[in-house]
Amino acid sequence: MIFRRVPWILLPPVGWLLAFLVIPVGVVSARALTSEGVAALTSVLTWKLVGMSVVVAMITTILCLVAGYPVAWCIATLPRRWRHFVLFLVVLPFWANLLVRTYALMTILRPFGLLDTWFAAVFGLWHSYLPFMVLPLYTSIEKVPVKLLEAAQDLGATPSQAFWRVAVPLTAPGIAAGCILVFIPVLGAFATPELLGGAQAIMAGSQINLYFMSARNPAAGAAMTLILMVITVVLMAAFYRSRRNERLL
Amino acid sequence: MRSALRIWTAFILLLLYAPLLVMAAFSFNESKYATSFTGFTLDWYRRVVADSELVGILWNTLTIALGSMVLATVLGTMAALGLRRRFRGRRLFSGLVATPVMVPDIVLGISLLVFFRALSVPISLGTALVAHTTFNMAYVAIVVSARLEGMDPLLELAAYDLGASPWQAFWKVTFPLIAPAVFSGALLAFTLSFDDFVITYFTTGPGDSTLPMKIFSMVRHSISPKINALSTLILVVSVFLIAASRRMARLPVSEGSR
Repeated sequence: MIFRRVPWILLPPVGWLLAFLVIPVGVVSARALTSEGVAALTSVLTWKLVGMSVVVAMITTILCLVAGYPVAWCIATLPRRWRHFVLFLVVLPFWANLLVRTYALMTILRPFGLLDTWFAAVFGLWHSYLPFMVLPLYTSIEKVPVKLLEAAQDLGATPSQAFWRVAVPLTAPGIAAGCILVFIPVLGAFATPELLGGAQAIMAGSQINLYFMSARNPAAGAAMTLILMVITVVLMAAFYRSRRNERLL
Repeated sequence: MRSALRIWTAFILLLLYAPLLVMAAFSFNESKYATSFTGFTLDWYRRVVADSELVGILWNTLTIALGSMVLATVLGTMAALGLRRRFRGRRLFSGLVATPVMVPDIVLGISLLVFFRALSVPISLGTALVAHTTFNMAYVAIVVSARLEGMDPLLELAAYDLGASPWQAFWKVTFPLIAPAVFSGALLAFTLSFDDFVITYFTTGPGDSTLPMKIFSMVRHSISPKINALSTLILVVSVFLIAASRRMARLPVSEGSR
């Protein structure tokens, strides 16, 4: 079954992706490299907002990791018949409409006067993307043989040494995958910071929306989109390079 | 240690679900204000159902969801079938097919908006349908690929040996084996499209709003139990669709293939 040529059956899907993904991305890049676009690419405001988004994405990723690792560990050590059920419970809210979930958070945060703050924005992002962290963590924790942890402790490691020197290195692929899966969408988040963070928490996504919808400066918007795209591609490439055997398709 | 982990997990689950449950509870509240529960009513649901604007918006949402579901299922299944083969550039192609899952929604939404504007195509339901097909295709391809990996390639070769044409081998052997994944992928595509906000927001016209877009504009102005009722209804539909999709994906591959 060795076929050297590209199978004909790939032509329609690949053609579609060329027309509605590759070319549009090319058009955005071209727009970002016009003189107005370059002005935006070199402006302080652009990099301040991108930097802010990177910081928010990093904080959210760390919070998801800290909250999610114990959850994933707990699920992986549950009795087999409970495992899938609890995992399903963790993942289920992710499938609920993003706007509906954000609205639910608004109704909770508003009475406490927490709406339109950075706290609300980060909490909302954490809430939305936690399942993305737990799933890959669970997959890699489940593969860690309990015996190895026991062996480490038999050889005199304290529980915390066994965790940091055995469990963490063994689950590193899951940690990397979870961090990437949270970081990338948070970086480009738009609806959540817009609705929960209000005027206080403006991220790159909100600014792109502003450029296109009200400020009428599409070149600047295209420039910021290009920056987000480049960060995504660099992260994905680094991830795939480090994990040659892992693949999505 | 173990009980501490379980308490933490229960706490996180509470944080995940409490807002949704509170929102659903207040959709049955008589009072307009979400500060205290004054009495049970279905009035807010009645208002949602009686809202003729919402009916039109629901129609838009379903049109995009069904249209992109059909297109994405066909294209995504083709992609998965093609990527099974080994050929030069396979890694590049599989990366391309998976890309829409990776890039932030706003990047895909803005790229298509700029593209349609450059071609002077007015944004409408049709452009949103194209956008949804692009990201849905990737999800269908991933679901179907996972299924194809569990399938014994010898079954298809046996069909050829027994004289089947490629067309017959596909419809009589391969397709029945991957059908659960194809349907599961289709349901997933429908749900993702039904729920999408960011990409729709940038690729549809002002007159062609969808339900998530309507909620976005409603909640910016006010909070009302009517939005709670509408949101709760959407929540129930999405959860039902996802449960159905997962159930379908888990149907056995075939009796003899493992």
